[in-house]
Amino acid sequence: MGAAEAAAVLGAALLLAGTVGPLLRLPSGAALALQAAGISLAGVAGAAVLCGVAPLGSGFQDGLEPALGVDGLSGFFLATIALVALPALAYGREYLRGAPRERWLVALGGLFLLALGGVVAARDAAVFLAAWELMTLAPAAAILVRRSDAEVRHVVFVYLAVTHLGGTGVWIAMLALAHYGALADPGALAGQGAAVQTLVIVGALIGFGTKAGLMPLHAWLPRAHPVAPSNFSALMSGVMVKVAIYGLVRVLFEWAAPVPLWVGLALLAAGLLSAFGGVLFALVQRDLKRLLAFSSIENVGIVALALGAALVFLWEGDRTWAGIAFAAALLHVLNHAVFKSLLFLAAGSFERAVGSLDLDRLGGLLRRMPWTGAGFLLGAAAIAGVPPLNGFVSEWLTLQALVHVAFGPALGTGLAGGVAAAGLAATAALALFCFAKATGLVLLGSPRRPEVGGAVEPGRAMRLAPVALAGGCVALAAVPGLLVPALAKLAPGAPTVAGGAALALPGTGSLPSPWLLLGIVGLTALAWRLRGGRRAAPVPAWACGQRVEPALGWTSAGFTKPLVLVLGALLRPRREVEVTRTAGIVESVTYRGEIPHRFDTHLYRPLRDRALAGAALVRRIQSGSVRAYAAYLLALVLTMLVLLRVGAIG
Amino acid sequence: MTAVAALVQVLGGLALAPLLPGAVQSLKARLQGRRGPSPLQPYRNLRRLWGKSAVDPQPTTIVYRLAPCLVAAATAPALLLVPIAGRAPDWSLGNDALVLVGLLALGRFALAAASWDTGSGFALMGSARDLTFAVFAEPLLLLTLLLAALPAASTDLVAMSAAAGGAAPWGEPAHWCGAAAFALVVLVETGRQPIDNPDTHLELTMIHEGPLLEYAGRDLALLEWSGAARHWIVLVLAAELFGPHWGGFWAQLGWLGLGLAVLCAALAVTETAQAKMRILRVPGLLAGGCALALVGLASALVGGLV
Repeated sequence: MGAAEAAAVLGAALLLAGTVGPLLRLPSGAALALQAAGISLAGVAGAAVLCGVAPLGSGFQDGLEPALGVDGLSGFFLATIALVALPALAYGREYLRGAPRERWLVALGGLFLLALGGVVAARDAAVFLAAWELMTLAPAAAILVRRSDAEVRHVVFVYLAVTHLGGTGVWIAMLALAHYGALADPGALAGQGAAVQTLVIVGALIGFGTKAGLMPLHAWLPRAHPVAPSNFSALMSGVMVKVAIYGLVRVLFEWAAPVPLWVGLALLAAGLLSAFGGVLFALVQRDLKRLLAFSSIENVGIVALALGAALVFLWEGDRTWAGIAFAAALLHVLNHAVFKSLLFLAAGSFERAVGSLDLDRLGGLLRRMPWTGAGFLLGAAAIAGVPPLNGFVSEWLTLQALVHVAFGPALGTGLAGGVAAAGLAATAALALFCFAKATGLVLLGSPRRPEVGGAVEPGRAMRLAPVALAGGCVALAAVPGLLVPALAKLAPGAPTVAGGAALALPGTGSLPSPWLLLGIVGLTALAWRLRGGRRAAPVPAWACGQRVEPALGWTSAGFTKPLVLVLGALLRPRREVEVTRTAGIVESVTYRGEIPHRFDTHLYRPLRDRALAGAALVRRIQSGSVRAYAAYLLALVLTMLVLLRVGAIG
Repeated sequence: MTAVAALVQVLGGLALAPLLPGAVQSLKARLQGRRGPSPLQPYRNLRRLWGKSAVDPQPTTIVYRLAPCLVAAATAPALLLVPIAGRAPDWSLGNDALVLVGLLALGRFALAAASWDTGSGFALMGSARDLTFAVFAEPLLLLTLLLAALPAASTDLVAMSAAAGGAAPWGEPAHWCGAAAFALVVLVETGRQPIDNPDTHLELTMIHEGPLLEYAGRDLALLEWSGAARHWIVLVLAAELFGPHWGGFWAQLGWLGLGLAVLCAALAVTETAQAKMRILRVPGLLAGGCALALVGLASALVGGLV
């Protein structure tokens, strides 16, 4: 047993001990420390495999004997899980302290990590599906342990209903793959004809797509993420949706490969819809956690765009660019895991300090909570995709992949690439808009409510976790030259991509992100010196001579108004103004505005109503009368006999 | 010759850039029958601002004070990405067109954050509009760059500039579509009529000026220089990617100078002839540009340009 294998096994054992511990009266702090040690050992083992150590454990098997193992792709996802889990566990130690049923929350957190690791380390269908279901149930249980009022129960019901309905696709795909022996031998599915392959692909797209939050299968995501405890939200948004991406990658690039062209185009379409739609709805949210949840949909869309581009390149036979697009998808998975968990953890601290996450009731928190605030600011800049941070690096790679799809030569794929690239550019501009708004409303200006003025920093652990993740955002921005060649190696055919610090990819002008980072920081410092520390006159901001009061402050709705007006046909905002007059004098004006989530009103509600109506229809058969049931049986037997007679069965 | 290109990049970007908006303003005044300011007026403004003390609106944080430095620091590397007469020295920043798009976005983010920091309604109104336009301007910029990148099959600006040289590109409908769409990019990125009015003193109509309203002294000087440098970047890009250019380095340098002069004149004429558009109609115009660029892409793919 090599060192990496020993680390993985020990890590799993420690994680298990940390999960069971709290139920056996182990103190929560010790249990969390065990979990942290376990997941970091597993992450180190995963990173070692990614860097070239031989795969651990067994390979994929089609039987039902449980098997576990780690190869490069699993290793990458294990390392990502560990990278997010460590700060989240440190944060959780303080965040959960004194919470009702703290032990249960700690144990469920450990179970969640075990399930996440289990999915990526599973080497047979049974373990995969078991871990998959646990991964869905653990956060649901954690949400209910924390709060169990009617609203939250409804949210959890929707979460479980949607993910399980969609999740049947995962079951169908995995069981079909195991049945045809395609897990162990990826070529096996090709011999089964197009129908079976299509079944597996559609099942995987729907099943994994639902869990990843791809539009239009995302209904659960913006509901469930905001109600979870913040350390769980960080893991759900940062890692759980990525594990669904892992499943999608395994099916489309390995088990069902080579896939036909329509799969790549379908992923491009779903990715574009998710990226653009996700960020558009994120922009018009008023609750910070809901905004972050919608932004996760956007980022999953970006990952799907890159994967779609990789599939198109594979179909065209361009292995190098397929590898680059594949690396772009994985790099964005990692980057998004880091900055989204940072933003969720910081949001948890803000909520604890202020008592609300209504964007119009915050403001001025950078001054009051400098550590958390600075972390949030950096994370927002990274997710907005501005250079030189890590979000820009993976978005640049994705955009390059789409631009190279647009280079053709076929008209259909070329145009699809062009439209997707333009859509991604619009998405990036919207994300910048969205996070400029979030940063401004949360951190900058003066407090919009008196209670915000008294906000103070949380304790050390809750302060350090976002700061450490912000350091991760900067570090990841500096080393894509190391990561991209290693990640491209995981793509089909293991193409060799030239890396180097400057990331000089063929057909691009190169992205020398370390130099850009140094250049921008250095030039900012230079400009700061030139500007000098001159005495500046303190004055109020200009408002035509009026005093700038909190009541005059801009709101979330005000800032996004121009865009909402321009995209009115798409967003259909609802607006109600009520003016109460007494004897011609205006007594009061009430204003209510909202932007309904049109997927809910136009897609899910009709579907749900139809389903309930159908259920009511079927319920009539269940009359409760024994005679009716006997008649059904008789009818069934008669039908079978008739069918047998005419030779339709048997 | 690469050294000359480097010199033009640095000196041109730092020193010549303010001449472009100055020339446009001066020419516009002539066209309108006024005497107007000299083309050197932006330099005088910068000198005046450099000597003035700053103003610190209350309550602001370091975000507000750092924003002008960050905007300037994002613009300066962008200058070094753009090749001059088809040559670009190796600053180890690469020459990628999409990195340029990102650097321009960084400045926008910094200014939007600074607007929120002041809490001033006018600043926020300007940045909200600027960000709204960007949602349509960014895909337009990307698609035009994509069209320019098609013949070279690369987003390297040096290769793109080389592929746009000579007479051959003008036989392609894609090149014409790209040039027409890039004209819109020039208008929106330089903040000129009919999209924005750089001369306005009415806060309610400001777009690019709005977020600068609170700044004074050297902060404002940095921002004004960045605005001028943005003119330089976009106009040089227009001349290099969509302007005619032939021959060796010196001939191409001449073409670049001529291109810049023609573009400045065209901006002045447009500003004179065209009134400002309703703000809500601008996105439609930009979306039309995107559609035109997509038509160009389709024609290039059908014609087998790549």
